[in-house]
Amino acid sequence: MLEAKKIVESYSGRPLRVMEVCGTHTHEIFRLGIRKILPENLKLISGPGCPVCVTPVGYIDKAIQLALMENTIICTFGDLIRVPGTETSLAGARSKGAEIRTVYSPMDALALAKDQPEKQVIFLSVGFETTVPGACLAVKRAKKSGIKNFSILTANKTMPMAYNALHDSADAFLFPGHVSVITGTKLYEDLREKGVSGVVAGFTAEEVLTALAVIVQESQKGKPFFRNCYPTVVKPEGNPLAMQVTAEIMEPCDSEWRGLGVIPQSGLKLRKEYQEYDAELRFNLPPTEGRGNPACRCGEILRGDCCPKDCPLFGKVCTPLHPVGACMVSGEGTCSAYYQYGEL
Amino acid sequence: MCVGLSAKVLRIDDGTALIDASGAQREVSAELLDDLEPGDYVMVHAGIAIAKITGEKVEVQDAGSEENR
Amino acid sequence: MKQDTVTLAHGAGGAQTSELIDRVFKAHFANPDFTGDDAAVLSLSGKKMAFSTDGFIVSPFEFPGGNIGKLSICGTVNDLACMGAKPKYLSCAFVIEEGFPMDKLEEIAAAMEKTAAEAGVRIVAGDTKVAGKGQVDKIFITTSGVGEIMENANTSGTYAKPGDAIIVTGDVGRHGCTILLARDEFGIEAPDVDSDCAPLWGTVEEMFKTTSDIHVIRDATRGGVGTVLYEIAEQSKVGIKLDSKSVPVADGVKGVCGMLGLEPLYLACEGRLVVFAPAEVAPALVETLRKCPYSKNAAIIGEVIADQVGKVVMTTEIGAQTLLPRPGGELLPRIC
Repeated sequence: MLEAKKIVESYSGRPLRVMEVCGTHTHEIFRLGIRKILPENLKLISGPGCPVCVTPVGYIDKAIQLALMENTIICTFGDLIRVPGTETSLAGARSKGAEIRTVYSPMDALALAKDQPEKQVIFLSVGFETTVPGACLAVKRAKKSGIKNFSILTANKTMPMAYNALHDSADAFLFPGHVSVITGTKLYEDLREKGVSGVVAGFTAEEVLTALAVIVQESQKGKPFFRNCYPTVVKPEGNPLAMQVTAEIMEPCDSEWRGLGVIPQSGLKLRKEYQEYDAELRFNLPPTEGRGNPACRCGEILRGDCCPKDCPLFGKVCTPLHPVGACMVSGEGTCSAYYQYGEL
Repeated sequence: MCVGLSAKVLRIDDGTALIDASGAQREVSAELLDDLEPGDYVMVHAGIAIAKITGEKVEVQDAGSEENR
Repeated sequence: MKQDTVTLAHGAGGAQTSELIDRVFKAHFANPDFTGDDAAVLSLSGKKMAFSTDGFIVSPFEFPGGNIGKLSICGTVNDLACMGAKPKYLSCAFVIEEGFPMDKLEEIAAAMEKTAAEAGVRIVAGDTKVAGKGQVDKIFITTSGVGEIMENANTSGTYAKPGDAIIVTGDVGRHGCTILLARDEFGIEAPDVDSDCAPLWGTVEEMFKTTSDIHVIRDATRGGVGTVLYEIAEQSKVGIKLDSKSVPVADGVKGVCGMLGLEPLYLACEGRLVVFAPAEVAPALVETLRKCPYSKNAAIIGEVIADQVGKVVMTTEIGAQTLLPRPGGELLPRIC
């Protein structure tokens, strides 16, 4: 690790902008204080890889509608609970009596549905390629075991199209380690052919610093590059079984990203054969048009176009205890990381 | 976007693995991995074992080494 | 056969209330100062005394390493001990949900008896209310206590000074982690993790035998050690430099925090003190602490600095400096 740290700290080449795409990278980079040891000419930009942050306001509104219906239990990963919708958040709905459970796994939501057949259990299916197979396994198992009171509200996203949207935001990408576990690395080879550079990185201090060191070294060679710096779990072919179950249960669709707008074919929805498990259809939800606070600059921040400190709400109206935008809610959000770990 | 946890497989039973991460144990789905055996180390995300941990880590060397030619 | 439970009548203040008190509480708490009146009249020796109160509503009410009864004694005893006060007398108020099993109430009272005896404190007054089904979550306990402050003790949250070393008396986050697991919401088990819940008067007494040069002692309960550090930084108007590597965390707690994306520094403790004392006396204090039963893992985790007022600056594992995130509301696991 010392060697990698030395390489990164002493970089003195041309200015480099490196975007970490994954929210867990953002979180770890701040937690470890990696930004503080970087030289002037090496900048880290946080990208749109926090699933909670890119989930549009309208989705939260739908989840709240479901939560406030009679006889429903909402199961979700923790962070989503405090994200503001147009009027309120899921936490707000909970204080009005809605039953909302934090789960560790989509499988836990399915188990709850089995335990409580008189309730409708809805899993909020957010997350990228890494998280999707779990939701798909849950749906598959529900169908197989005839569990009818389970459904999912999907806002799942996939990364490939987003790289195109972010093409010019950075000189090199720190590709998301655990997404790559599922997808493999062919996409990155293709991106390299198109002139997009990056490395797949793990999440420990050593792994992140090593990945940055490799970026620094490869950048000096002046050619687009790709390196897998997380080979202990990321294989070129990815996880075929995971991709298979995803393809069996879900299919690509256009998807709205907070801040980036609708990106064609960047989302996933349940295939026709599994639509009975789609909460939106089961409960016949009307289309929503969520509205965030117009002054909130989460969108530009997610694109790396501005920094949290450029937002008029940051740290004043918008704080982790009273978040306005999603980026302040999630522990992986850029605003939250800036606020929590502060500039010294 | 995806918190991962490396853990040791203690037991496998019908597509479910009991895993241990420094003393914290949980059952996770092992359906997405073939040939998993007790004693293997896996990466777990949201209750699903997504990869077997194998092989060597990447190392870098400072200037003057072969890495920089 | 009729199940033996607490009924609304037990809380009505009449004969059955007395019966409950006689049968359960008096049986466990009886001592020469135990009062049947609304307040105990106590002889104090005209010295400085400390008085504290704390409510406990932990769910579940029993957990590995203790139950709400033990917790309710430790909480107030430790609050008093933090002021350098020898805990003398406690009162306790129960709010019990109708239908609560009598044998569990017995267990709770027995744990209180045992813990109070260990801390050398007497439970001298109490109150019992029974609430209708659903009005409370099984059982709530509030304890209040008075303690006599030792002559050589003078601690306050405002006394931390630049140059002080910061000691934590054991590994952090055990209680919070235990409760999280006991709620069984995440299907995680950690066989080696139990609550650190413990009465710490004896520990504090030993510290003061080692030196009276102790500036701050604070009990890291809700919000954990991280919250205490921010409180002291603000109250004493100093900065705090924390060495994250030296914070003791048990393996199982690390494992659970890893699974759920939680920070052990923000998980509750119920038997851990954060102590601020001049760097010169800190090693001797740590040595003393490591000989006490509840502080075998005591460690110096940081120091007080004059700048960065109100902030906790952390040296991370790569040697960089960053802020320890401020404590924030509900602990929500970060998974995806």
